[in-house]
Amino acid sequence: MDILAPLSGKIVGVSVSQGDAIKEDDEAFVIEAMKMETPVYSPGDGTIKEIKVKEGDDVEMDDVLAVIE
Amino acid sequence: MRPYFEKMDDFGRELRDGELKRSEENVAQLKEVEADIEKKVEAVKNAGMSTEKINSRGQMTVWQRLEYLVDPGTWCPLHTLYNPEDNPEGTNNVINGIGKISGKWAVIIGFDNKVMAGAWLPGQSDNILRVTDMARRMNLPLVWLVNCSGVQLTTQEKFYANRRGSGTPFFRHADLEQLGIPVLAGIYGTNPAGGGYQGISPTILFAHKDCNIAVGGAGIVSGMAPKGEFDKEYAEGLIETTKHFKANPPGTPKVHYDETGFFRYVYEEEKGVLDGLKEYMKDMPSYNPKFFRVAEPKEPKLPVEDIYRILPFNQKKIYNFDEILARLTDNSENMEYRPDYGPEIYTGLIKIDGFLMAAIGNRQGVMPKGYPEYADYPGIGGKLYRQGLVKMNEFVTLCSRDRIPIIWFQDTSGIDVGDIAEKAELLGLGQSLIYSIQQSCVPQMLVVLRKGSAAAHYVMGGPTANDHNTFTLGTAATEIYVMHGQTAAVASYSRRLVKEKDAGNPIEPVIEQMNAMAQEYHDNSRPDFCAKYGLVDEIIPIANMRKYLIAFAGGVYQNPKSICPQNHMILPRIIKDYKTIKERAQKAEETK
Repeated sequence: MDILAPLSGKIVGVSVSQGDAIKEDDEAFVIEAMKMETPVYSPGDGTIKEIKVKEGDDVEMDDVLAVIE
Repeated sequence: MRPYFEKMDDFGRELRDGELKRSEENVAQLKEVEADIEKKVEAVKNAGMSTEKINSRGQMTVWQRLEYLVDPGTWCPLHTLYNPEDNPEGTNNVINGIGKISGKWAVIIGFDNKVMAGAWLPGQSDNILRVTDMARRMNLPLVWLVNCSGVQLTTQEKFYANRRGSGTPFFRHADLEQLGIPVLAGIYGTNPAGGGYQGISPTILFAHKDCNIAVGGAGIVSGMAPKGEFDKEYAEGLIETTKHFKANPPGTPKVHYDETGFFRYVYEEEKGVLDGLKEYMKDMPSYNPKFFRVAEPKEPKLPVEDIYRILPFNQKKIYNFDEILARLTDNSENMEYRPDYGPEIYTGLIKIDGFLMAAIGNRQGVMPKGYPEYADYPGIGGKLYRQGLVKMNEFVTLCSRDRIPIIWFQDTSGIDVGDIAEKAELLGLGQSLIYSIQQSCVPQMLVVLRKGSAAAHYVMGGPTANDHNTFTLGTAATEIYVMHGQTAAVASYSRRLVKEKDAGNPIEPVIEQMNAMAQEYHDNSRPDFCAKYGLVDEIIPIANMRKYLIAFAGGVYQNPKSICPQNHMILPRIIKDYKTIKERAQKAEETK
């Protein structure tokens, strides 16, 4: 299961680390775009297997931000 | 129409553990601002003489009079911090709000007799005009607690004359009366000159035995300086005259009850005056609420306190507006109008205390792919686009047709800008919305949840741009300005930066000015600033938001000037039909 970017923007918050347990709707990332901060939530329960971005990265819509297993 | 209204669609969901956990700081931030506002409110309540001092004179304070007069639990104060002329007294010296008296809603206002015996102070007349406007828009009785010593002579130039000066309430009372709206006045203390007209201009006068109302006062030793200026000889003479000056105040009950009969009643006790008002309020024109209710009143299924966790204090954070609305409406139900069109705006019917109301609010966050449809850039909530503006125009017009009062919720950064937006007619559609609201003639109120900015603050039911906004509330997260301070600083100084750079001058002084400007915008848009200068009519605790909505709904349905039978309403039918068509299309799609 992947956490995808819901919009293009800059990563301004990463609140998970590799190996963390995560539940559906937990906040995992914050993307800043158009002067607003949009939280990105986990789509389901699991463990963070891999984080593919860091703070300051620019992302496009639907980019994979993290992988949950 | 029972099937339409008795059970509307459920909306909202309970907050999850993660949301509860991460919102703790937000709750603390909002409550800190609320605590600061509450301190300022307490300062207004304690302005002037102490309660003990007033009571020792055998008088009640205006606060005690209000407490005795108003039905418990119904008082919704307004304009408490309104002090636009920055009076050192910390108040404009009238206390007002909406509340029930003997079970009937009324707009209620009284002079603060602790502060200079209820004198006219700068900013007060505008407060009174706001209050008379409220009575007119809600078609509610205006109840006065008159106790007015007249003009504060040292500041008269600020309010005695002018179009919105202290004489305007007198014709406003006449205006209300000509519209059939009664103005009841309990009269206490000495009320000379301006105070006299405050006393005589209402419809029925309930007098305390020690009060007076008069064209002029008796307490002033008459005379001007014969030499054109004051000198020691004149001052000595004045001392002698003043020492022996004695006069009874004119216009006591002996004249205005026994002779002119201006006072309908005179009471021995202070509370007697209030009992008289209570007795009359029982007979004020009103419908039984069941005449208009569309369902039994119900509390929201989701707690209003959750809003402290949903409404971000951080202006950059997005949230789900529907979740806020679900915590304000009866049984957390609604009928949304055109959910698939203009997604940046919520429009829908809700129930407040069993009454049918309309709600309009800004949604936040990223808009669906391809929206706005006229542009190649993505849409973001808080902004207004073509469909949202068209939808609000339609909805307001239909509410007007069905006589459904409207509650606006603003958190807006403005209308989309640029040539693409101009081609999409947004300038015209914004003004169309002002036209739609102005012609609607239904009472409206506004809650500025967070941001009120740019022209969007006007067009979304703001108090500046229509004559139907009854009152505007703010929260601990409210900020109101033409644009963000940083945006304003860039707009003001970008060319200057280029000029200084090209000239080889240091740019640091310009940067300093830019930061100062941004800071000034920040300071001048805080909740307490908005309340002090009247950008909102009150900053309310979020926990009290539903209480104000109930007061508004109950007030506007008490004796509406124009009504639409429920079975003649068209808006609920349009909503139902949209829903049915959508459901059929979905089913057809699934069958494929």
